[in-house]
Amino acid sequence: MLNDATHFGWISRLIHWAMALLILSLLVLGTKLANIQPGLATLWLYGLHKTMGLTALALVLIRLIWHRISPPPAPLGPPNAWETRAAKAVHHLTYVLLVLIPLAGWVYASASGLDIVFADRWVIPPIAPVSEAWENAGLLAHSVLTKLLMGVLVLHVAGAMRRVVQRDGTLRRLTLG
Amino acid sequence: MRLIPILALMLCATPALAAPEVYHLQPELSSVGFETDFGPDKVNGTMPVTLADLTLDFAHVGASKVAVTLNAAGADASFPFATQAMRGPKVLDTAEFPEITFVSTKVQPDAQGATVLGNITVRGVTRPTSFHAEIYRQQGAEVGDLSHLTIRLTGAIQRSTFGAVGWHDMVGDEVRLNILARIERAN
Repeated sequence: MLNDATHFGWISRLIHWAMALLILSLLVLGTKLANIQPGLATLWLYGLHKTMGLTALALVLIRLIWHRISPPPAPLGPPNAWETRAAKAVHHLTYVLLVLIPLAGWVYASASGLDIVFADRWVIPPIAPVSEAWENAGLLAHSVLTKLLMGVLVLHVAGAMRRVVQRDGTLRRLTLG
Repeated sequence: MRLIPILALMLCATPALAAPEVYHLQPELSSVGFETDFGPDKVNGTMPVTLADLTLDFAHVGASKVAVTLNAAGADASFPFATQAMRGPKVLDTAEFPEITFVSTKVQPDAQGATVLGNITVRGVTRPTSFHAEIYRQQGAEVGDLSHLTIRLTGAIQRSTFGAVGWHDMVGDEVRLNILARIERAN
């Protein structure tokens, strides 16, 4: 369950892959929502996006807390190699974006004045005043940061693929422990 | 309800009907239906009528007067998000402007009923508009009994002209109104 100096425990692995799946789904859904004409038939997709986004925010916070409780192993490879430093930078930026993007979406939804309903059941409190300025700022931040995340994830996956080609064991310890 | 147009009666009034008559609203029997476009679909709903004072002059239809007040804060749309959006500050802003009012300035009889010209106030902004009006005897009323009437006002407004511009990229600008006011003679 716990991480150690060389292995990821199953909780860290589960959170990693659950978030990977969730974030990929959110990117696809969010891109679709930005390009469709809203209507009664598609209204539920907006609620689904909010529910998934809040879940992703909860997961990243749980992950950060969990890594405090059970620190993950250090990256494989020489600590001062540019690849290792680049990987760390990408990881840190990913965490920052995974917190900021749902928060920006939450601000955007709050400022619209409409209820934010989680799982079609629970109303989530607003975190911004009902205001066109807040709404526009929230949407802009959500959109720009998401595009930045897409770029960062490309780097993350490219780095992971490089490690797969090098057979350094990173992917194995993130899947099998 | 059996609706019997009494336009002909209005246009061919007998001396007994010559005096203008004051009517008041029967609020529990009255409502406003509205409809607008939402993408490929329609959003519709209802809004209570708070007040409707009418002076109907069956001898000189043009001298008739209509004043209607709607309870915007009590509006309900066909799904919860639409209700919240409509009442919110980006559309009707009912916290600040809980009522919509219409006061006629001119009534012009025509072949199908009458055209009621007047001023409508939404979000504190007053703009001229017009409604098509039809008047009927209420169900069960005897022929010639004008003590209880139904007036239907139909028309449309462009919400953007009142500053109600929220969700303009999703929701249509034209709002079609169908006011059904049941009224009774004051005395």
